[in-house]
Amino acid sequence: MTRLWKETGFVTDDPWVIETEEVKAEGNQRPLLDLEAVIARADESNDVGLGVLLKPSDDVSRLEPYLYRLELIAVSFPAFNDGRGFSQASLLRERLGFANEIRAVGDVLIDQIPLMIRCGIDSFAVSNATALKRLEEGRLPGIAEHYQPTVKAAEKTQSYSWRRTAKPAA
Amino acid sequence: MYRYDEFDHAFVAERVAQFRDQVERRLSGELAEDAFKPLRLMNGVYLQLHAYMLRIAIPYGTLNSRQMRMLAHVARKYDRGYGHFTTRQNIQFNWPRLSDTPDILADLATVEMHAIQTSGNCIRNVTADHFAGAAADEVADPRPYAEILRQWSSVHPEFSFLPRKFKIAVTGAERDRAAIQVHDIGLHLKKNDQGEIGFAVYVGGGQGRTPMIAKKIRDFLPEEDLLSYTTAIMRVYNLHGRRDNKYKARIKILVHETGAEELARQVEVEFAELKNTELKLPDADIQAIATYFAPPALEPRAEGWANLAQWKKADADFARWVHQNVQPHKHPDYGMVTISLKPIGGIPGDATDAQMEAVADLAEEYAFDEIRVSHEQNLILPHVALADLEAVYRGLAAAGLATANAGLITDIIACPGLDYCALANARSIPVAQEISERFGDPARQAEIGELKIKISGCINACGHHHVGHIGLLGVEKKGAELYQITLGGSGDEHTSIGEIIGRGFEPEKVTDAVEAIVDTYLGLRLDPSETFLAAYRRVGPQPFKDALYGSAAEAA
Repeated sequence: MTRLWKETGFVTDDPWVIETEEVKAEGNQRPLLDLEAVIARADESNDVGLGVLLKPSDDVSRLEPYLYRLELIAVSFPAFNDGRGFSQASLLRERLGFANEIRAVGDVLIDQIPLMIRCGIDSFAVSNATALKRLEEGRLPGIAEHYQPTVKAAEKTQSYSWRRTAKPAA
Repeated sequence: MYRYDEFDHAFVAERVAQFRDQVERRLSGELAEDAFKPLRLMNGVYLQLHAYMLRIAIPYGTLNSRQMRMLAHVARKYDRGYGHFTTRQNIQFNWPRLSDTPDILADLATVEMHAIQTSGNCIRNVTADHFAGAAADEVADPRPYAEILRQWSSVHPEFSFLPRKFKIAVTGAERDRAAIQVHDIGLHLKKNDQGEIGFAVYVGGGQGRTPMIAKKIRDFLPEEDLLSYTTAIMRVYNLHGRRDNKYKARIKILVHETGAEELARQVEVEFAELKNTELKLPDADIQAIATYFAPPALEPRAEGWANLAQWKKADADFARWVHQNVQPHKHPDYGMVTISLKPIGGIPGDATDAQMEAVADLAEEYAFDEIRVSHEQNLILPHVALADLEAVYRGLAAAGLATANAGLITDIIACPGLDYCALANARSIPVAQEISERFGDPARQAEIGELKIKISGCINACGHHHVGHIGLLGVEKKGAELYQITLGGSGDEHTSIGEIIGRGFEPEKVTDAVEAIVDTYLGLRLDPSETFLAAYRRVGPQPFKDALYGSAAEAA
């Protein structure tokens, strides 16, 4: 089963639902709309607190006028080797300045989560058994030394401009 | 050369620990092969026909003696006593056990080496001119920029799951010895009218089943923008490169389908946003990295001129080796030595542990502790005093490494082919060996002159056949091996893709076919200074077609 994880731990009261033929948002649940639907909803209403589920091929810049009305943007990884979501998340944070939640959904594996975090993704819908086990044990396989700046805050080092470290400077 | 600081050491140590954990999960069955595959690939571990293969990164082909000795140690302890230097200036070992690979990587880490991103759909080992820092025609040393790119691309969180692999090459001279126009990104270091350093940027070259020559999308990119502009290219590619078909997933297809102008426009739009961010390179950082690559203190050794003349007179073999394998250095008392890994009848690119030790010893004693791996699968000692050439030659000869054939017809590039590779359709090594034997006579090779034969055992073109003056591509037809011949390819500053000359040849006939091509060239060249490539470009394919397929009687 799918559980939602953040760097602070597992989250149990998440309201967002990816709607399918069988599954619909009900009660306090809230649906994740696709890009076209969320734009349509935003255009024809004053709703805020919307959620959108992006496909890897979606152009994130189309969300720019609506960002302040979005509470959650989910980027999807239909397979672990489809890395477009890393760029989508990076653009949403760096370029568009989106500050609310960005969630990884789909094939979210333990070895990719540290990279996703660095690209600004901050919640993870995880189904993979190994990933769930490791997250429960608090064992993320990340490397503290980074050779490139990314949107995720990290300390500058004493050396080259492009280096960052997840460890605070001594 | 570059030296690790604490940060680099910590990074590699953590990476080894991470991989050890992944291997343990795989061996325990917790991690399935399909999920393990991209992880092992990004640490250089392939699953080949008979065994795992470990490909170790040699950034821009630069090694010191200690590192070379470690490679010898790995060959001895974990493999079968030899390694194979590759066309990406790396080395691969063909027989390691998966369970040993974390230990191998830990051993390598002690000499500042690793196998990070030698495979997988990520940014691969950055390559550069193997004569960098020594060549007389160099505008600037490409290695500091290759090192900056190496660091920046290491475990890049945004670009670790690209549509396909991604190769960057840097050259610092007009004469392109890094084949930059057949790379995903090719960087040509140059100076502008104000004397500032920058790059001409080429994108979308590559070989494989759809060979393409890269398009220049920037004539002059200031050096401070190297990382921001490269990031812009990578981002456009990561988002828009095709993922529906792995054979159309390289950036060359995106460039081809989008059009170079439109792609350049998209890159510029992205670059405009990235230009003045933290990716901008401070001059102090470029200088700090460049300091690592400062040339060794080359004392005047003018006595070498007279010595050399005497030695050459006394020993014809030595004279031939100097003529063929030693090239002028920017310092007139020194030379750049090519150590051929192409003994007559041998396996191109292979070296035994004892040979690696011998090269390490010679580099330490005579060559300022520097060794390079060339993309043509040879080793280079970039700084050798002419006065020391004789001693170096004797040392190489004792190790079976003094074959005087650099750039000649027996200096063949070949992929591992069906003898090792899971992708291959045909063998490459035996074909290379037979051609090498056929043309092994030194006088005959010298008569033929510069001629690059490159052999790939499948359409993935690891043997670079598309840019061989004579290229051989092994294909499978009705269960049998067949070799298709291309002519006129070249991987230099005048890059061209070879043209298929006609139907393929059976393994037992391919050497005869090559010989017929060579004889045709010898018969039609204007004079001995007209190389095979120049002659081919002048006359075109027809005389060669006639020679190969001429009359029905000859074919029968």
